[in-house]
Amino acid sequence: MVVIRVHADIQMGDFSGADLISDLPQSIIESILTQLPIRDAVRTSILSSKWRYKWTTLTQLVFDEECVPRNERTLFQKSLVNFVTHVLFLHQGPIHKFQISASYLQSCPDIDQWILFLSRNDIKELGLEFGEGQWFRVPSCLYNCKKLTQLALVRCELDPPINFNGFISLKSLNLHQVLVPPDAIENIICSCPCLESLSLSYFDSLSLNIHAPNLKCLYLEGEFKDIWLEDTPLLVEMSVAMYMTDDIAEHFEQSSSCNFVKCLGGVPQLERLSGHIDFTKYLSIGNDLGRLPLTYNHLKTIELYEVSFEDMKEMLVVLCLITSSPNLVELHVSCSNSPAATDDPDLDFWEKKRSSDCLFNRLKVVEMTDMSGGLQEMEFMKFLLGNSPVLEIMSIKPFVYDMETQLNMLIEL
Amino acid sequence: MQWHSQMSEGNMEVVKPEMKSYIWLQTTDGSIQQVEEEVAMFCPMICHEILQTGMGSSKSYAISLPQRVNPAILGLILDYCRFHQTPGRSNKERKTFDEKFIRMDTKRLCELTSAADSLQLKPLVDLTSRALARIIEGKTPEEIRETFHLPDDLTEEEKLEPLRNITDDPRIRLLNRLYARKRKELKERQKLKNVEVEEEHVDDRSVDDLLSYINGGDGDTKGTRAKNKKKNRRRKDQNKDSSSNHSNGNHNKELDPLPHAGQNGDLSEVFVGCPSKNSTSQDSAAVTFSPKLEFIDGDIDDDLDPAMKEELDREVEDFARRLNSDWPERMQEILSLGQERRPVPVSINGNGSASRYTMSM
Repeated sequence: MVVIRVHADIQMGDFSGADLISDLPQSIIESILTQLPIRDAVRTSILSSKWRYKWTTLTQLVFDEECVPRNERTLFQKSLVNFVTHVLFLHQGPIHKFQISASYLQSCPDIDQWILFLSRNDIKELGLEFGEGQWFRVPSCLYNCKKLTQLALVRCELDPPINFNGFISLKSLNLHQVLVPPDAIENIICSCPCLESLSLSYFDSLSLNIHAPNLKCLYLEGEFKDIWLEDTPLLVEMSVAMYMTDDIAEHFEQSSSCNFVKCLGGVPQLERLSGHIDFTKYLSIGNDLGRLPLTYNHLKTIELYEVSFEDMKEMLVVLCLITSSPNLVELHVSCSNSPAATDDPDLDFWEKKRSSDCLFNRLKVVEMTDMSGGLQEMEFMKFLLGNSPVLEIMSIKPFVYDMETQLNMLIEL
Repeated sequence: MQWHSQMSEGNMEVVKPEMKSYIWLQTTDGSIQQVEEEVAMFCPMICHEILQTGMGSSKSYAISLPQRVNPAILGLILDYCRFHQTPGRSNKERKTFDEKFIRMDTKRLCELTSAADSLQLKPLVDLTSRALARIIEGKTPEEIRETFHLPDDLTEEEKLEPLRNITDDPRIRLLNRLYARKRKELKERQKLKNVEVEEEHVDDRSVDDLLSYINGGDGDTKGTRAKNKKKNRRRKDQNKDSSSNHSNGNHNKELDPLPHAGQNGDLSEVFVGCPSKNSTSQDSAAVTFSPKLEFIDGDIDDDLDPAMKEELDREVEDFARRLNSDWPERMQEILSLGQERRPVPVSINGNGSASRYTMSM
């Protein structure tokens, strides 16, 4: 027999002992509530009369898939949207951080209203991540968020108006799978004078010309036609994963500019460089790299992945980089498995270099991955070993399928 | 030479061989302690006092600590400071220490938070508030009230609004509506009868009774439906027959541990409220619900044609079944939510190197 006790009376607190927590300073309460998932934070409003509105002044609202109970997929979207709308409606005071991320989140009119609401409430950090499907077209009220310091968008469409003057306080911009008209991107970057961190990924055929005097971190991933860091004197960290299709490569055959200089010419403060996929190839295109005026005094870590050792130009890039970095501490190189390039490899390239007096006085860690035991690679390793007096760790990870050459490699070294 | 214990309150001045300097601190109960200078200086408030006023250098000029710092808590805080101000500790060591440090009963943790805040020791405030957040997370409101000795002083109505419908689960809403209706009726009945009868009336009603009563018994409390009384009773019997088969066994385990109506009807940690503020607005309140559900407690017309009645029965049965099947999942959810903190979801960059992406801001 099921018994349901239904008390009609209101139970007054019948526990002995005073309230432990409600009278803590508001700043602590907010600190506690901010560290709770938003749903738990909202539910504190039914704890007691003092707690009724404690959560409503939270300045950080982070929503995700956990906000609504697990349900059929069709209800998820509606539940989540309703939940967020209600929370915003009941909220009081400024909202400094708003972030929502859910794999099933689709574009819908309510979201436009959220952004309008946020733009009126001093939003500083905004993050929107949508699921697969129709991308969210960011409403124009976003561009009125004057106090924005961080913006992160995933699967959205941005189309700034012509008279858009940028976000004056924006420090961090992160666009992943965002559809933007090509010239608009450069404009946005230019017009955000405080920009310190820029991350662009999943862009197609973008020709990028970056003016960002305060930029410190740059992360690029995608198909870029051209990368020109025209004005980034303070850049400290840079990571580029670049895909080059064949027609882009052809386009470069005709150009006369030196990609290396364009890309790495203006970054004297660089401390960490990371290049993936076709980045080294991209750098290798252009004019003579022999005389490079630049020295990277702060460059401590270089990571170049998928370097084609058969391509002399790419080798030249690597050499240039490591010889221009007197304070280099870590070097990570991986070998690309693509078939040999067209130029005949210069077999004595590294041999020659070895005898020259460029020493890597700080180089401590070298990691070579995906090595297939080719001659060039061996020579390069010998070169490094010979010229690095303080080398501590040399780690070599061969490409898995080629067992025989591995042994040969080890023997030679 | 005799060495005296350094933490005793009294007039003894300790002579230490290492020639450290000490700061004197006084708590509100009057007791005075001395503490190594570098440890005391770890607290911004104490540091500030020393630099600004020059106090603390001797026993008679001991720094008065804020009211929220009692001697026991001060001991804890000083332990914390002593550990963390030592240079050369690895992050891992510090983290391990922190994890162990905050293992204490809730009351003490709250006192510690309060004291750390008054001494402006931000790292400790962050640590303790995180610990408190972890305590709160995943608990039902009753559990939270019990842990922190909170008075349950909100009225039923207040608990249900203005946050009603904040999570959208029609089945939970249904059950909550039933509960709320029941509560209301009992409250009203209490006004007419005395307490003993009330209790008797309350006990031992099976769920199906409840459901059928509510389904059929609307005419009792709603003025607008007075004319439906007779028909309701008839319907009640019919409903009772049909629903009792479905919902009898199903509701057993699930509904038994459900909280009392005096607290929030907190079924599987979802907070949903009843839409009705008063009985007369019952009709209009059910706007957000799907039309099907409305029939259960909304306007039940005089002649329920068989189709609708069937729908009703199906609804109740479906509800009962889904409640039954969901419960294990929901329990899993509660348990897992209570145990771990979900990380910020989705790293949107493929390359996992430096975390400079604002999604983890």
